Amino acid sequence: MTLARAVRIAIVVAMLGLVVTLALAFRRDPHDIRTGTIGKPAPAFTAERLDGGGTLSLSDYTGKVVVVNFFASWCLPCTQENPALVRVYERYRGSDVVMLGVVYQESRDSALSYVKRMGISWPALADDDGRVALSYGVFGPPETFFIGPDGVIAGRHIGPIDEGTLITGIEALRREATR
Amino acid sequence: MSAGDLGAAALRAALFLALWGTGAAAYASWRRDARALASARIAAGVGFGLVVLAAVAMMFALATHDFRILYVAENNARETPLFYSIIGLWAALEGSILLWTAILAGATAYVAFRGTAAIPRLATTALVVMFAMLTFFLLLITTPAADPFVRLALAPDNGNGPNALLQNHPLMALHPPLLYLGYVLTSVPFAYAIASLIIGEGGDRWLIATRRFALVSWALLGVGIVAGAWWSYAVLGWGGYWAWDPVENAAIMPWLTATAYLHSVMVEEKRRLLRTWNLALVIATFSLTILGTFLTRSGVVNSVHSFTQSAIGPLLLGYLVTILVLSVGLLLWRSGRLRDAGAVGAPLSREAIFLFQNVIFMVAMLTVLLGTLYPLIAEAISGAQLSIGGPYFDRVEIPLGLALLFLMGVGPQLPWHGASRATLERQFTAPLACAAGGALVAVATGTTAIGAVLTYALAAFVAATVVQEFARGIRARGVLHAEGALTAFANLFRRSGRRYGGYVVHLGIVLVALAIATSQARTVDAERTLAPGETLVIAGYAVRLDALRAVHEPQRDSVVADLEITGNGASSQLHPALVQYPSSASAVGSPGIGAGVRDDLYTILAAYDQKALSWATIRMRVIPLVSWLWLGGAVVGIGAVIAALPAPRRRIARQVPLAEAPAPAK
Amino acid sequence: MTARIVIAAALLAIAATLVLAARPHEATADERVDRITAELRCPVCQGLSVKDSPSETARQMRDLVAERVREGKTDAEIEAEFRTAYGDWVLLSPPIASWSGLVWLAPLAAVAAGVVLATGRVRGGAAVASAEPSAAERAALRERVAREEAAEG
Repeated sequence: MTLARAVRIAIVVAMLGLVVTLALAFRRDPHDIRTGTIGKPAPAFTAERLDGGGTLSLSDYTGKVVVVNFFASWCLPCTQENPALVRVYERYRGSDVVMLGVVYQESRDSALSYVKRMGISWPALADDDGRVALSYGVFGPPETFFIGPDGVIAGRHIGPIDEGTLITGIEALRREATR
Repeated sequence: MSAGDLGAAALRAALFLALWGTGAAAYASWRRDARALASARIAAGVGFGLVVLAAVAMMFALATHDFRILYVAENNARETPLFYSIIGLWAALEGSILLWTAILAGATAYVAFRGTAAIPRLATTALVVMFAMLTFFLLLITTPAADPFVRLALAPDNGNGPNALLQNHPLMALHPPLLYLGYVLTSVPFAYAIASLIIGEGGDRWLIATRRFALVSWALLGVGIVAGAWWSYAVLGWGGYWAWDPVENAAIMPWLTATAYLHSVMVEEKRRLLRTWNLALVIATFSLTILGTFLTRSGVVNSVHSFTQSAIGPLLLGYLVTILVLSVGLLLWRSGRLRDAGAVGAPLSREAIFLFQNVIFMVAMLTVLLGTLYPLIAEAISGAQLSIGGPYFDRVEIPLGLALLFLMGVGPQLPWHGASRATLERQFTAPLACAAGGALVAVATGTTAIGAVLTYALAAFVAATVVQEFARGIRARGVLHAEGALTAFANLFRRSGRRYGGYVVHLGIVLVALAIATSQARTVDAERTLAPGETLVIAGYAVRLDALRAVHEPQRDSVVADLEITGNGASSQLHPALVQYPSSASAVGSPGIGAGVRDDLYTILAAYDQKALSWATIRMRVIPLVSWLWLGGAVVGIGAVIAALPAPRRRIARQVPLAEAPAPAK
Repeated sequence: MTARIVIAAALLAIAATLVLAARPHEATADERVDRITAELRCPVCQGLSVKDSPSETARQMRDLVAERVREGKTDAEIEAEFRTAYGDWVLLSPPIASWSGLVWLAPLAAVAAGVVLATGRVRGGAAVASAEPSAAERAALRERVAREEAAEG
């Protein structure tokens, strides 16, 4: 009977598909998130500085390489990655590279004491209602975005970042700018 | 010798016995050798004892905080209370698999002693399958991938403690073992089905022999799922009980096929039909339990912020592939011998309704499977990352559920073979009138969701058919046996437990359906930041924040909000909290729940002033009829017990010689 | 005859309640916020929606949706804003318009295929009348059912 035969073949094909899907799933890295904002213009924002130095807008830095880092003092990986951020910031101080920190879901007081304690001397910005983080599609701190001189998000790193990754990301954008 | 050494040694000895048992049972089945069977029985019995010994050794190590064992160091701490230490056996992967193996060893011993005594040839072959599966699981827990007794070179002073979510509620003691029992017991019908295919038996003996096992494992699975829903309601702190999480989907899929099987099995018993189909359902149910374990334990489907990755994934996948290839291959090979005796009746016959009901159950299972796996498929094909969650499953599964509810009312009211117009009128007039009443009640109480109105109508419809059946059954017994109404009622359960227990199960499902429809359609919530003394008003309830206080316990620190709730004739004190365990990064919410027959009051401490405890953000949900869900689960369990209890008078012949037993005359 | 009248009245009443329940009504702002947030996936949870999640992130997202609703944005515009930031990942059910809409088609196709297969095994409707026993046969059958019940295990 042809119907029974078709059903049999369908069963075997479905089983094969199931097994192949499951096997392929092993290659998947749950940390690898490629969604959202990469390759698109960086969402504009204007935010207050934690140190009371007024407000600051992303548009102030058009034409420069901008590194935006979302952090919080309650986030353990943030404290881990902080020395790398400090070193890279010192390396590019005074150049066309700008580093901005955005506080993620934390009161300004405790974030400010963390900023002082950890030697963060680049601008740290308040984001009380989370709008900046939401517009960048942040899942959780730490997350780091690389924005090119053209104002487009070129790269994104989820989780603690190291010095090498930071420098590679920045240099790629600087080369692009000079070309 | 420490408990850890004892447990590890016991598992290795059990592995040897399982290997031996596989060979001995295979020889006994092939040569019909009584001595080999006796040997396999001893291996099954002693093996079961050894695995239980290992499980007890692990519980002992947990209770005595023996941090030389890695599993204990990772899932226990000195401060963990004794109760949560002991149930730490199923707090993580390795221990869970140990528990799983212990249950499987028990089932193997049951088949070895009771099964082979009833139908020797078939059960001995089934025993080979049981032993082979047991061997796999023992291999799993004696290899580094999932060895629960791995030692640490240097014992830490203190352990990490169990996952915060797993030491927050006593339901944790109930829900995983019930589910595991349900999962593992599906292996018995599976083993018999495979045995029947292997020895090429065309009949239904495998099905009769494992009917009760299928029912019990189905019931345990169902009650375990409801207990799990209750746990997530009481612990996870968002005011829901089902989120279509992969873990939940993994549990519901075998339950769906098992439910389909429980019904189609009746078609085979009464009409000698659907033989291949029933075998397929048993194989599907068992394979889905393994698939579910694979999905939830290998870390392939998980949210972005969970970090469990395990080496047992490929092993479980290999096991699943082996089972699929062997069982589907056997089924296709033997399907020529599985001729049905006759044809299904008219579209309005009981067997036809069962058939359509089976179709809906299968589609429900396949869509859950598809939805769970679709993100993986999409990513493999196009690299796109997307989500499938509640909105998809609700839109697909709720219409299917409503169709099933309808068929649940129709099926039992129809005779086998076919029904006349007169029968239809006799059976459905009163239930349809009740359905209209249900719909009117829904509208009168202000329900506006169309799905909820339909659910009320169908719930009333089904309940009416059940009441009608009981009334007619009591009257029939009154006439035939001259019994009083109460005696007749009790005797319906005693004499026809399977049928009337089934009706009780249907009533339980009605309760569950009403609970789901009402709580989904009519939950209201509100959130406000309150200073002590301030009040939040929602749905006629006033919630006053009396105080906010910090509580210190050895194993955790909490901030508790004392709430006074008044309104709708009720007054209660609830204490939602945020609990910080040393092992977890963020605080865990512990909701304060005021359960009621009509409304559950579900309060959450969402945030608070960490400096001075001078304010708290309180979220409150008023969830109507949700407690009917737990009640419905209990009614389903009671109905299943009634259906599973053996009726008096009828006895299955025991102690038939191994040589060959005639098929019992049915 | 009375049975048929009761059945017809009951079916009519059910249909009326369904029409009543399905009548269109203008959604309030709160209902719109609930409707939109139920479709959005909370980024920090295990598959929970933004509507259900008690997390801080979900609260911020709810606030943002409420603000956009007040500003008069349409559901599609608000959804698009989140999709720009989080990608299609943020939608809890794939959009029907994309090729992922296949997952919506699959259940329908499965029901259709299943019903066709099942109907193929069911005897034709014409046989119903003749399969129906007479009154006397029915009485005998009823007694047999009672006997079966008494003997069932």
